[in-house]
Amino acid sequence: MSEFYLNIIHRPEMVPEYIQKEAEQGKKEDLTRSAVLLESLDIFRTQQQIAHDNGLRTTIQMTYASLFNAEAVEIAKEHHEQFGDEIGSTFLGIQCAEFREKFKSKELAIWLFSLEDKRIIVDEVFGKFHEVFGFYPTSTGSYYMDAELVNYIKEKYPMVKAAVATCWEEGPKAYWNANNSWYTLMDGGPWNPWIPSKRNIHCIASNEADDIGIVAIPHLSRDLMAVFDGPGSYYGTHPQNILRGMVYEDKELPYFKNIVDQYRSMTKYNRGYSYNMMYVGPGWMSKGGRWESDYAFLLKSFKDGMAYYGELKKQGQLQDLTMSEFADVYRQNRPYTRPECTLWKDILYGSRRQMFWYADPAMRFCLDMNQGGAMVDLRPYAAKLIRPCGVGTKANQDASYPFLVQSLYRAGFFTHYAGEGAVKSCKIGHGSEQVDLCTCRTLASFSEEGETRIVTLDPVTIEFEGFSVRVQSIFRLTEGSSEVEIIRRILDSTLPEADISIDEYITACYGTTEYPEDMTGIRLSLIGADKTESIEYAYQCREAKLENVHSAEALIPQVDTHLSMRADAPAAGYFREGFSFSPMYTLGIQKTVKAKGELRTWLKVAKAS
Amino acid sequence: MAQGRKGKLNYRCPRCLMREIDMDMLYDKDKDEYYCLRCSFTGDEKEVQRLNAEFRDKYRARMIRITDF
Repeated sequence: MSEFYLNIIHRPEMVPEYIQKEAEQGKKEDLTRSAVLLESLDIFRTQQQIAHDNGLRTTIQMTYASLFNAEAVEIAKEHHEQFGDEIGSTFLGIQCAEFREKFKSKELAIWLFSLEDKRIIVDEVFGKFHEVFGFYPTSTGSYYMDAELVNYIKEKYPMVKAAVATCWEEGPKAYWNANNSWYTLMDGGPWNPWIPSKRNIHCIASNEADDIGIVAIPHLSRDLMAVFDGPGSYYGTHPQNILRGMVYEDKELPYFKNIVDQYRSMTKYNRGYSYNMMYVGPGWMSKGGRWESDYAFLLKSFKDGMAYYGELKKQGQLQDLTMSEFADVYRQNRPYTRPECTLWKDILYGSRRQMFWYADPAMRFCLDMNQGGAMVDLRPYAAKLIRPCGVGTKANQDASYPFLVQSLYRAGFFTHYAGEGAVKSCKIGHGSEQVDLCTCRTLASFSEEGETRIVTLDPVTIEFEGFSVRVQSIFRLTEGSSEVEIIRRILDSTLPEADISIDEYITACYGTTEYPEDMTGIRLSLIGADKTESIEYAYQCREAKLENVHSAEALIPQVDTHLSMRADAPAAGYFREGFSFSPMYTLGIQKTVKAKGELRTWLKVAKAS
Repeated sequence: MAQGRKGKLNYRCPRCLMREIDMDMLYDKDKDEYYCLRCSFTGDEKEVQRLNAEFRDKYRARMIRITDF
């Protein structure tokens, strides 16, 4: 039996965002308008029928508004009986006349209420659900479910075992895409299901004590390359998202199947397991059309997508589970330390680009083969930052998990005129010449040795004046180590006696958006056998270098993170403080070798306190 | 000048779309043209469709079925 699991989720949303706000422009807001209610229910019914016609079961997430609609409730009960669909609850679609009357608020995002209000709303929504169905739901969700909210739900309703908990990389890019009016600022989570930490929903739990008690599911399965550099709502297992991104021609969108198949291929990296989630809200299938597409095309794209899943099921290549069933299956074979890995390849732009994504309880990172395997994103999960969001919190709307490196928000290799951007890479040098591996695009392959995952990059050739060398990079990820082992190997040289310098470095910062944060107080250190050099960041361009270094380190108190690099053989270490026009810090380890030589370093991410 | 109204199929501004900003346009029926509140774009339906086709060009693999992973 295939271990490609699928969750299909539908919700009877009585006042869908797009139907109410967009397609009905020109009318005053009226949460009880019967035309909207009827259309929404009709779309929900259509979605359910298409799933069932393809032999697929769903999770029906009842919105608060739908709990007041006898017909929606009846459909849910009937489909549970007839098809085995799960009846769950969602915090999407809370807005309705009853909610407005009770809470006097137009807020639509559960994670943005104050914690006190979140608790009251949870009790109201779950209480109403119980009143209607006679039991509590075991699955729930929203676009984002913060740890404080889920901790409360687990405390009061321990039967809940699954939740749609984030939209992958739906942060500043989604905000820009929506003309700076869509406040889903929640970058930094895993792209596939995970067991979250009690301290922060983005972080993968380290152990049973840290386990929040649910299996978290990302809202949709996203394109891991396109969404890193583009709007999440263009590229994922949501046919109408793909229409929004205009990834089609002549009303055909093979891209949907390509995403599904790339997710299916993740069995290669994750011990035989892979996952997909499809969740189309009714507002995306408005009878009035949307995203330059008429209703017929909206419907066709949905039908085609569902038919592909149905076909895979018939071939025995897919298991359709409800959310709670999936949570049980996931927990059966998921040690806390097991990472999620994916070597994603371009299926959109016609390049051969690959990106390797990795997430475990200590960190999430991304390597870009277009930049010689440079690390372009690094999130310190080991810090397990308690970072509440919503009214009355410091973060307020910014629910993202901070990065240390994010090469698109903070420049990366290419900067304009001055300074350095956030990236982890390596420079290969000879005499006064130096070449950054960021400029040497390559391809990678994935393998395993016991509990170590290995990403091996194809060698690249670097040309110096009068000779050339071939360099190979290998990344070794040993489960539970909280470290990335990086090997830079000089495979051969046309001038074997020439000295070649290898400079492994990380240029980093911290933050959640593209704008700089205050770096004051970050501590940069070089630890040697009998000497330590240390400074506190003050934008003064200071540098230090130490021979025979044990480690080069940065303590970033703002994100409670300790970042360090070490080597296994004698090497020099250095740090560089930045300046206001380039607010970064750099840690590095250098070694000079000849042909066949190598530098082996370890990058470690740890909680500082 | 006429009141701007929601146009056919919720056309987004193709120039804003090039910057990955989803910005619905308004339609001026007197001039038979769409216009953007954000970037000053104006154009008829044909011009919008021409630019939308240009936007799609960046997706060189959009019509390729890929099965080798």
